[in-house]
Amino acid sequence: MVESPIQGNGQPPPEMAPQVTEEAEVQGRLGLARDAEQARRALLNRPRFSVRLQIFLGNALAFLIAIAIAIALVASFQRMESKIRFLEIVNDYVMEVEQARRFEKNFFLYGTNLSDAQDNVFKAENILSRNAEELADIMGTGWREQMLPNLHRYQQLLEKLGQQPQSEQALSKNERLRVQSQVRAQGQQMVSAALGLLSKEKTALTEVLTRSRQLLFYSVGLLLLCMGLNAYLLGSRMLSSIGRFGQYANRIASGDFTPLTPTRRYRDEFTELALAINSMIEELEKREAVLVQSHKMRAVGTLTAGVAHELNNPMNNITLTAHMLQEDYADLDDEERLEMIGDVVGEASRAKKIISNLLDFARESGSQLEPLDLPELLRETIALASNQIKLSGIKIDFQTSGNLPRVHGDSQQLRQVFLNLILNAIDASSKGGHIHVLVLPADEPNYLAVKVMDSGSGIPAHILPSIFDPFFTTKGKGKGTGLGLSVSQGIVAKHSGRIMVSSQEGQGATFTVVLPVTTIPAELGAQQ
Amino acid sequence: MSGNLQVLLLDDEPIVGRRLKPALAKIGCEVDVFEDPELALAKMAQKEYDVVVTDIRMDQIDGMQVLEFVRERWPRSKVIMITGYAMMSLAREAMEKGAFDFIAKPFKPDDLRRVIAKAAHALGSDIDFDVVEVEKANG
Repeated sequence: MVESPIQGNGQPPPEMAPQVTEEAEVQGRLGLARDAEQARRALLNRPRFSVRLQIFLGNALAFLIAIAIAIALVASFQRMESKIRFLEIVNDYVMEVEQARRFEKNFFLYGTNLSDAQDNVFKAENILSRNAEELADIMGTGWREQMLPNLHRYQQLLEKLGQQPQSEQALSKNERLRVQSQVRAQGQQMVSAALGLLSKEKTALTEVLTRSRQLLFYSVGLLLLCMGLNAYLLGSRMLSSIGRFGQYANRIASGDFTPLTPTRRYRDEFTELALAINSMIEELEKREAVLVQSHKMRAVGTLTAGVAHELNNPMNNITLTAHMLQEDYADLDDEERLEMIGDVVGEASRAKKIISNLLDFARESGSQLEPLDLPELLRETIALASNQIKLSGIKIDFQTSGNLPRVHGDSQQLRQVFLNLILNAIDASSKGGHIHVLVLPADEPNYLAVKVMDSGSGIPAHILPSIFDPFFTTKGKGKGTGLGLSVSQGIVAKHSGRIMVSSQEGQGATFTVVLPVTTIPAELGAQQ
Repeated sequence: MSGNLQVLLLDDEPIVGRRLKPALAKIGCEVDVFEDPELALAKMAQKEYDVVVTDIRMDQIDGMQVLEFVRERWPRSKVIMITGYAMMSLAREAMEKGAFDFIAKPFKPDDLRRVIAKAAHALGSDIDFDVVEVEKANG
């Protein structure tokens, strides 16, 4: 393809300029979207530990503990039950044995029937064999060796005694007495063994009771502790998140529109809130951009009056010169004609210059950050407002301390901030007033300060705190939107700077904009 | 011609004086041109002009002050104000303070000639300009 020869003069076609700005704007918007996208990914790219899960886990733990308590209690009730059952068995056994001994005593004293005693012994043995399982539970499998031999021996002794009157092999008197004392001793021993067992088991039962009471206390304590800890963790998690989001809200309200980024190692329901806030921030930022642009157009509108007035002078000069050239054309010599044409040309370019500053400023452009020469930027801004200043009959003087470092920023937006401050100063000043503009290093290191001071009537102390609020204005209806300082504050905050005001009634006002100097080493190369 | 109309023209734009001096001379005016209001005031302190043409908005001293000075020093003189497009309120104020007339920038040489002819007529020393004739005929 051959390039058109008309464009082959080495200069880009005039349509290039707006394209470049559009590109910058698109890049600016893309940058914004990229930040938001990065934040979104970082927020989502964490293990999930939701509040719901924490509540569920806490409750599940409490539930498990409660179940464990219940099981332990059931188990200890069962132990107590079997001990009580054992005590009952042993008690019955003791009663039977004691009954047998009572009959045995009657037999010795009154010579009554001994078969009743044998009956009781049989019943006692019956009790033991009927409850063999329970006894084995408590005393182990050796219970038979412990209990039965005694009983059997007693039974045998009783039988020996009982045979005595009828049988042939009657015992001698001595033998009888010996058996008698053996029976008594055996009975005694059986009762005391059973009673010993009884009291031992009673102690064991008391012990089990005490232990189960303690278990109940401790486990309920543990349950309460666990629930308390869970409530505390859950509460502090919620409260700290709510507190953090409160801070975010304040930060966003002050005009800082950087998206929220993760502060914890896990994500939860608050992550969804953070994502929603991020998309709100994106929307706010878009609206802020519209607001900034519309406020800029208002400033342009204000400047237009000055421009229109200033344009009258070259227009008038051109009109007068053209008319006189027409009128006297025949009487003028070439030199005079050339002089007059030269005046027309000169005044035409003067007119163009008056408008072009304003058009440059009015043109919509994307956010582009670059190292800026702040004094130069202010000189341009003052030039932009110069018509307005002249029209109002106000003097403006500009001072700067030499050799200042650059600041990193968006020249269009910062020019808008300074223009707004200067236009405000013009509004505040009466005819013949003075406006001072200073650029100097700020009190804190690595910051530059721009001061715009007027000699107006000052700002009353009671409205001083509200002047940066949106829609706050002291100007008459239709003259101010009350957005100028609010928009300026937003722009300055975006540049990590601050805007401050000090004023005393009757002594004018001083607005100070503090901006950080650029610290990116790459920018040094760009300056050279 | 001793009956020439004495005119002082004050405007801080040099081209205005350069073009209007010959333009007014053609209708029989003797024009002193000033760009600096101070010098103009100093001159007027000594000399009475028939007509004073002054721009309203100038850097050091504005047209209103010039008007006040002339009204006080030479009550007979006619003062014509040149105003900008956006300053009708100022023009009205000037009229209240005793200006003879005003003319808004941008204007043609004939516009000013017409106003000056009117002023000359009011002073009773008509000059050689069509408008006066037309107005006389109408009047």
